[in-house]
Amino acid sequence: MKITLTVNGEKREVEVKPQTRLLDLLREDLGLTGTKEGCGKGECGACTVIMNNKLVASCLVLAVQADQSEILTIEGLNCQDELHPIQNAFINKGAVQCGFCIPGMIMSSKQLLDENINPTEAEIKRGLSGNICRCTGYVKIIDAVKEAAHKMRSRGEDDV
Amino acid sequence: MRKKGRGMATIMFGFGYGEGFPDHSIAEIEITTDQKIKLRTAGADVGQGFLTTMIQIAAEVLKIDSSYIEIVGQDTHQAKNSGSTSATRQTFFSGNAVREAAEEVMGMIYHHGSIYFNSNHPELTVKDGEIYACDNKEEKISYWELAEIVKQKGDNLQAEASFFPKTYVPDEKTGQSEKNYVAYTFMTQVIDIEVDTDTGIIEVMNVYTALDVGKAINPQNVHGQIEGGTVQGLGMALMEEQVIKNGITINPDMTNYLVPSIQDIPEFESTLIENEDSDGPFGAKGIGEPTLIAACPAVANAVYDAIGVRITSLPITPEIILNSLEENNN
Repeated sequence: MKITLTVNGEKREVEVKPQTRLLDLLREDLGLTGTKEGCGKGECGACTVIMNNKLVASCLVLAVQADQSEILTIEGLNCQDELHPIQNAFINKGAVQCGFCIPGMIMSSKQLLDENINPTEAEIKRGLSGNICRCTGYVKIIDAVKEAAHKMRSRGEDDV
Repeated sequence: MRKKGRGMATIMFGFGYGEGFPDHSIAEIEITTDQKIKLRTAGADVGQGFLTTMIQIAAEVLKIDSSYIEIVGQDTHQAKNSGSTSATRQTFFSGNAVREAAEEVMGMIYHHGSIYFNSNHPELTVKDGEIYACDNKEEKISYWELAEIVKQKGDNLQAEASFFPKTYVPDEKTGQSEKNYVAYTFMTQVIDIEVDTDTGIIEVMNVYTALDVGKAINPQNVHGQIEGGTVQGLGMALMEEQVIKNGITINPDMTNYLVPSIQDIPEFESTLIENEDSDGPFGAKGIGEPTLIAACPAVANAVYDAIGVRITSLPITPEIILNSLEENNN
């Protein structure tokens, strides 16, 4: 069956099978391999993307459910060749080790900061509680979200 | 009721294979004519920052900005054996191989540089990728220009080094030898917890760490290893339980086999002890595995401090806490 959706601002028409997951559509059909498959059952958060301004585990969404939707993946975060402030903060703070959880972590951070540009530490922890990381111990990930929030706040003020 | 407890543990960890195993690592460095320094190593970076560390070591010895250094390899097709990324060994073994290869190349820079300037080689100044004649600071040549000159002579600014330390087979009866491992890492952790005596749930509040790292080549990465290793250790101490029935794991998923989430982590305060007391590069020691080990005993000691019960199995789940408290009351 044919579905139409917007991925990272680009309209795409894709032929999918009924059982195709959004994760497979992104990785296999569109070649967007930044989104990772961890557990494949919605427990680890590695496949997190933003669908219609909400976080979803793309392994639990069927591609047909994403018909007419708007999807944002890690590949759509940077503006031209510039990394998004969240990506830069993750690098600066040493928040990336093996990196497998990071696309999901960054999408959850994006959603959190879109909703609340000045989160407390407890709010950051709640916002990222669906993303498992085995390497970092999360400390530097929290630092990175704080730094990104700070940068994005001051950038917002510059715009005004 | 929440009861507070504080526990401490100190560990020592001999790293590398040691014990008579022919453990070694080979690295190669080449200064090219097109403004790049190629560093060949087959060592695998699994996120701990191996490549960053190797680049820093090469840049330090070669007195040049790290942005000029390009890694080639990460596999044994393009580079010679660096050994496995395991046994907490890469910084020590590959770090030494990279340092030695860089020192060899530095020797060539001095050798060919002194011929170029017609001077005695100790009288050269080498910094920021440039070589200066000592008696005339205006006269200088870049590494890349020197590489071109050396190439014309049919040679190149390239060297390979193998770090291959002697290791000792332990005595079969006593388990002792002159030195079972190439070096030892020490770490002490103090961990504060709060035990909820109604639910049996343990919350880890603070982790204070003193890590004998020899030399922290990249302090940010060392702190990352401490935090990551300790949180894995806290998982082992408190939640990670593989349940096997009739040879089959019955909890092979993250809903039933719990690993720490971002909600489970404590506050960290860490001190790096840099005594430079190993034969590693700049005195550095391996820290990967050691950072995980102290969490379990420190938490168990903290539980004893909080509720007066000695727990001798892992993980220390709420059920174990409640059963122990009940046994104590009876």
